[in-house]
Amino acid sequence: MSNPVYRPNRRALLRGTAAAGAAALIGTLPARRLMAQDAPAKPAEIIVRAWGGSWVDALKKGVSDPFTAATGIQVRHDLTEDNEIQPKVWAAVAQGRVPPIHINWDTTTNATKSALRGVTEDLSDLSNLANTTELAKPVGLDGYPIVNTYGYVYVLAYRPEAFPDGAPTSWKALLDPKFKGRIALYNDGIGFHFPAQVAGGGKLEDIPGNMQAAWDFIAQVKQQQPLLGEDPDFTAWFQNGEIDLACTISTNAREAKKNGVDLAWTVPEEGAKFDTDGLWIPKGLPENELYWAKEYINFAISKDAQQVWCDGLGLPGVVPGLTPPEDLVGDPSYPDTPEEMAHLIRISTKVQVENESEWFSKFKEIMQG
Amino acid sequence: MSGGSSAESTAGNPVAVVAQGVDMDFGTGAMAVKNAAFSLERGRFLTILGPSGSGKTTLLRMIAGFQTPTRGTILIGGRPADAVAPHRRSVGMVFQKLALFPHMTVEENVAFPLKMRRFNPREIPERVAHYLDLVRLAGFSKRRINALSGGQQQRVAIARALVFEPELLLLDEPLAALDRKLREEMQLEFRRIQKELGVTTINVTHDQREALVVSDEIIVMDQGEIQQQASPVGMYRRPANPFVAHFIGVSSFLTGRRTGTGLTVNGTECAGQAVDDIAPGLAAQGAIRAEQVRIAAPGGDLSGCDTVLEGQVSDSIFEGERLLYFVRLPALETTVQIYHHDPAEQAPYARGATVSVGWNARDLLIFPAKDR
Amino acid sequence: MPNPSPDFRYPLRWRLMDGVERLADTLWPRSMSRHTGWLFITPAILLVGLLVLGLIQIGDASLRVLDTATFLPSEDWSLTNYRKALASSTYLTVAWRSLSGAVLVTVLTLILAFPYAYALVRVRKAWIRKALLITLFLPFFIGQVVRAYGWLIILGNSGMVNEALSLVGVAPMRLLFNYGAVVFGLVQYMLPFAVLLLVPALTAIPEETETAAGSLGASWPRILWHVLLPMAKPGLIGAGLVVFTLTLTDFAVPAMLGGGSQDYIANAIYDQFFRTADQGLGSALALMLVAAGSVLVGLVFMVFGAGTLAMGGRK
Repeated sequence: MSNPVYRPNRRALLRGTAAAGAAALIGTLPARRLMAQDAPAKPAEIIVRAWGGSWVDALKKGVSDPFTAATGIQVRHDLTEDNEIQPKVWAAVAQGRVPPIHINWDTTTNATKSALRGVTEDLSDLSNLANTTELAKPVGLDGYPIVNTYGYVYVLAYRPEAFPDGAPTSWKALLDPKFKGRIALYNDGIGFHFPAQVAGGGKLEDIPGNMQAAWDFIAQVKQQQPLLGEDPDFTAWFQNGEIDLACTISTNAREAKKNGVDLAWTVPEEGAKFDTDGLWIPKGLPENELYWAKEYINFAISKDAQQVWCDGLGLPGVVPGLTPPEDLVGDPSYPDTPEEMAHLIRISTKVQVENESEWFSKFKEIMQG
Repeated sequence: MSGGSSAESTAGNPVAVVAQGVDMDFGTGAMAVKNAAFSLERGRFLTILGPSGSGKTTLLRMIAGFQTPTRGTILIGGRPADAVAPHRRSVGMVFQKLALFPHMTVEENVAFPLKMRRFNPREIPERVAHYLDLVRLAGFSKRRINALSGGQQQRVAIARALVFEPELLLLDEPLAALDRKLREEMQLEFRRIQKELGVTTINVTHDQREALVVSDEIIVMDQGEIQQQASPVGMYRRPANPFVAHFIGVSSFLTGRRTGTGLTVNGTECAGQAVDDIAPGLAAQGAIRAEQVRIAAPGGDLSGCDTVLEGQVSDSIFEGERLLYFVRLPALETTVQIYHHDPAEQAPYARGATVSVGWNARDLLIFPAKDR
Repeated sequence: MPNPSPDFRYPLRWRLMDGVERLADTLWPRSMSRHTGWLFITPAILLVGLLVLGLIQIGDASLRVLDTATFLPSEDWSLTNYRKALASSTYLTVAWRSLSGAVLVTVLTLILAFPYAYALVRVRKAWIRKALLITLFLPFFIGQVVRAYGWLIILGNSGMVNEALSLVGVAPMRLLFNYGAVVFGLVQYMLPFAVLLLVPALTAIPEETETAAGSLGASWPRILWHVLLPMAKPGLIGAGLVVFTLTLTDFAVPAMLGGGSQDYIANAIYDQFFRTADQGLGSALALMLVAAGSVLVGLVFMVFGAGTLAMGGRK
């Protein structure tokens, strides 16, 4: 707190957790920008769309609270589903209205759709981009319509109780008759298509041209009567003992584990899908709000913010030299070595964006049958 | 209480309905029916008459089987009926609101009991036609119920209640809602049909005229108790108590004490005849029908009257075929009602006119004074 | 009548009402009174008008194909979305599930609602009727989502029902996330609607009519079949239509109790709008649902009449 520029208000002082982060913010933002006479007027608040539960908790602790402490700008988290905010933002931009949010925390694939549609602001001029890994840059797009902020893995989460002989080694464990009705996938199969291609005997190079192997494998999984849901469903299902095995983002499994559910996860031999999430700003904001929204994202990719935020999520960030959380050291869902990365499946965003709806509907066709 | 049997014995006619000591207690204070006992011979038309709340409908519903007596037994055709469900009793009923089935045609309504009672399907159309003919509705068979007039609906209800030839026909004030003209027409219609078929019938009404017109026998009920059972003529001429005298016909009541020859009212001797033995000097009540009191100009011809008194006309009501006078009798400190026929021959007595009033001893009926 | 004292004044409320009446007279003169009826239904007409505008927009969107390179709808119109929807076995499955589910739910709901409504109408004791009404309305005031969530807790593998079963030695079983759970949830949700629509129809049947049928020789089941059901037909049709259309278009219950694999049409439409961002296909599906529902309801109207929904317009 020795920084002379920083004048904490009473509210910020009350926020113990935010204090350390605030100091970090001051370190990363050039003081001149905070103090300069020409800095645009501060809005009372900025609205960040976020996922609920442990996701928003991590964002609040790592990014939003320190940002508020440093700038005095309140951050409101809008927990509208990412899929539901998208058409609202698109409509607002199409009609020339002010969009309903300042920042969208989004999957890179979804965000790319918005970028292709031209509703995103360019973020190339963020100063902290200089200090990020190549993961931060969206592939196949010009400039930075999105800034990727961390990567994540769609792991195979399991209840150790159901696997006395150790972790399952293959996605084929989903086909074990004893787990009939006790396995779960995402509603649209997201994260599962690619490992299914491998588990079904196909090649990753054939994506998207020939995915028959994936569909065959998914059809076999359908016979196992999987539950289909979203992130909150997975946590609830694990907690209520409804399922033994699930293809889910490691963060959900880790959250359930933190809540006392006996749970573990693994990256099976076929590999697991690695993808990224990012932040972007919709077009149509007033000048000053755009400025402070950019400052928010710029802060989110600072090392200090990344350390706290990504610790909360249990995911690898986009700044080099972050310390993994204690419980995830050496964990395959927190890839921090080239070998670990090589074991994961990465498919270009472009291919995903162009084919995703077809994959989703194919998956639905199998699952709804 | 005089539950006397019907006057004329129709020997050889077995008894159709018997009630023995029937009580109905809904647990709401007073009993709805108290110790009802009566018997009805086959083929007769009985009317249960009474004011609303007298228990007449409850008694009828117990006979129909919709309610089970708290105590006592009802026998239909000689068999105890208590354990027999309504739909297994051979009882046809015409309801107060008719309760026709609006979703069926006339024909379907009448065929309904035949189908429910498993009549031979081939017989049904003929039977339905026969009964529609009986109630004079031939040609209406395909009509919807809502397309019929009130009188026609009555006829459908009668046909429906009779078509399966029940042992017993029950009528639960079905005429109450009709206008007077139609009501009187239907009363005669009920009587005609009942006589034609000879079906034992129990009718419930609060309309004393209807009871007199249609019935072979009348039971008068009040406050859950049967007051009297008699033929219409017997009931009219010889009411068993002041309530019956009051309920049937128009009567004037005199309160006094019994004497050797009649009743002394306010010190004036009134000639009369006791219905029951009453010791002289006891409180008693006399009742005399309006048509049994004669009226004449003061000192006019009242020959044959055992009692003649003077009074003043306090009001007169013109009823068409007769006049109803209210005459104040100062000697008795009361007002009597008098029917006077043949008004065309004579100008009515004006209000306030002094008149002579007289009656025959045999027409003033003397009852022991009761709480009523 | 004594004359009111000279300083008598009408109460303030009366004078206020007089003022309001004078104001109304100026704003809407007597001579306009034959149009007053129109004035009152104008808001409703505007609302319906907006709905129609929305439908037109959806109709427009349904004719445009999504370009996944730009994520913009196409400039030109085509029937591609409709063709795609009709050719897809997913949507056929989902449509069939919605339709058959709606029929099943309607039938089950009516079977359960009828005795409930009958009891409400016929029961004599006021406190029993009140209890029945409260039992009916309590869940009515709890929203659909909350109720579905409640079922998740009660019917879950470690929920109350399975706990109770385990007491009698039955192993926990999967009660949720299947077709049965969805039907159960929908029936439970629709029951109050059906009861409320049946009550007026049953109130219109005089108790004496049942008594009469009994005295004419009909046993209880026959009274029900030959008298009560036919006479309650308008109510049954009205309730059936409401339950059917609500079920056909339901979203929350299949989404929450179906475990993701029991989608109804509304869920498929949601997916197109919000998951794959294909508003064109979503619009096409939505319009097809509207059309299918309208046709079915129209058929019922033609065959059975509109029941209580005819509002006495037709006999």
